[in-house]
Amino acid sequence: MRSGWTMAGNWRERARTLKDEGWWLVSYCGLDALGLRGGSRFEAVAQFRHATEGHRCIHVVAEGDPPTIPSIAAIWPTANWMEREAYDMFGIVFEGHPALTRILMPDEWEGWPLRKDYGVGKVTVEFVPQPFLQIDAPGQASETDGAGREVDRLGQSGAPERHWGTAPGAADTAHEGSR
Amino acid sequence: MTSAQAIDKLERDGHGAYVESYDPDAQRMTLNMGPVHPATHGVLRLLLELDGETVTKCEPIIGYLHTGMEKECEDQNWRQAVTIVTRMDYLAQFSNELVYSRAVDRLLDIDVPPRGRYIRVLMSELNRLSSHLVWYGTQGLDMGAMSALFYGFREREVIQDFNEMVTGLRMNNGYIIPGGVWEDLPDGWEPAVESILALMSRRIEEYEELLTFNPVFLERTRGVGVISKEVALALGASGPIARASGIDLDLRRDAPYEVYDKLTFDVPTLTEGDVYARYQVRMIEMRESLKILRQVVDGMPGGDYKNMDPKLTPPPRSELNRSMEAVIHHFKLMTQGYTVPEGEVYEAVESPRGELGCYTVSSGGTAPHRVHVRDPSFANLQLLPPAAIGGLVADLIAVIASLDPIMGGVDR
Repeated sequence: MRSGWTMAGNWRERARTLKDEGWWLVSYCGLDALGLRGGSRFEAVAQFRHATEGHRCIHVVAEGDPPTIPSIAAIWPTANWMEREAYDMFGIVFEGHPALTRILMPDEWEGWPLRKDYGVGKVTVEFVPQPFLQIDAPGQASETDGAGREVDRLGQSGAPERHWGTAPGAADTAHEGSR
Repeated sequence: MTSAQAIDKLERDGHGAYVESYDPDAQRMTLNMGPVHPATHGVLRLLLELDGETVTKCEPIIGYLHTGMEKECEDQNWRQAVTIVTRMDYLAQFSNELVYSRAVDRLLDIDVPPRGRYIRVLMSELNRLSSHLVWYGTQGLDMGAMSALFYGFREREVIQDFNEMVTGLRMNNGYIIPGGVWEDLPDGWEPAVESILALMSRRIEEYEELLTFNPVFLERTRGVGVISKEVALALGASGPIARASGIDLDLRRDAPYEVYDKLTFDVPTLTEGDVYARYQVRMIEMRESLKILRQVVDGMPGGDYKNMDPKLTPPPRSELNRSMEAVIHHFKLMTQGYTVPEGEVYEAVESPRGELGCYTVSSGGTAPHRVHVRDPSFANLQLLPPAAIGGLVADLIAVIASLDPIMGGVDR
């Protein structure tokens, strides 16, 4: 694959030249290069097609914090939604975009889902201390080993610590409402 | 009103379409259509500004079906990610699997045996037929021809049955995998395809009789939702929509993949750019697909159906009983999967809706670093405002149906 690199500062000029040469934009997406190689982290990757020269790919290196790239939506209107998607997923700011808002995620979403430091499905769950309930099955007699010590179901001897009613450390009233 | 408030209101009202505001001085009404509306083909939401019945502004709002599939792919191994991409554009599942598998094939730098290539083309062309049948049905339904829906879905069911016969599933098959296809074609596949071919060539005639010269249908579609060649080019249209606007582009012919360079078929191109032209292009494409399928059935070679490299494909069950090496390979493939050399690749195929691209980056591990799918519906949906503005609300329905967006692919 023909791959090129360009810095954000030169991107718009480069894009105009490519357009004049007859390349058209087919795909434009963000990329988080964390752990991939040294150097820059955020890039936008543009795929171009040409009637006779085939296909080429250009990486645009974002600069600054938040990562910023000049928008090319005025050059290729099709980049409008693609830039919005890259902004939505990676937080890459496309300067000069007509309406840079979230496109796939809800407007009030916080964070940039496709960044590498954003977990997969690790939604924080509020932890409410649950009452510790130990239920002996009916007919389950406590077993003893040869020395007369109690053996639990995993075969470990020694009297297991038993807690009745609440988990260790939890207040007695912790979850009273639901009992 | 923010979109969150709008959604709240939507849920409160329980309507598919409601008036958001009305400006009596300018006589402009803002109408919300969707996301739960039968004519928006899924969960597409449109904010419309109307002057009487004329659409003056149209803003598509998407993302209601976003489930983070690209992120999900990064958490699976290379083989498992096929089951994620197949769920994106759920009416063109084989195209999705094909483009992803081709991207991984190229990163791995492996060959797919000829039979595997032919099976891939067989499945994706049948898939094109079944996808166009759904479009035919819904386009007809939206134009008031309800019987078209029944006919379209009736024949689609025959193709779905064939999918089930080959892959075990009707949808979300996960059948095309890096290196080839998961299983060889079952016994009796040839008569099954023959019967589909015989049936479809007859039934397409019936579809044409039903709609092509139907005066009501012509009235509703001719000169409606015109997309000029310039607009289509600027907004990155592809597939039947681009070809109906005079852009002569088909990746099967212009950048042939798999075995398309050995097959002969025509690429229909019209210049009108209206809903009727898009209808005609798709109808011709269905006939061309039948031509391709005929050649595929006749030319189906024997041999392996997938790359038999033991590092990529699990050993046959019989080997496991007597070969320690096979057990080791099997264990490694099932627990961690194979690694793919570092690199990046962009592959594109012609899905029923246009250019379906897959940009894949590997960091050398057992899971993709990034999988981005350039879905044709996503780009094509941007054509909705220029096609709809200036027309009537009723025409907007026709335009949406003719763009044939699949929201699973748009939102991913």
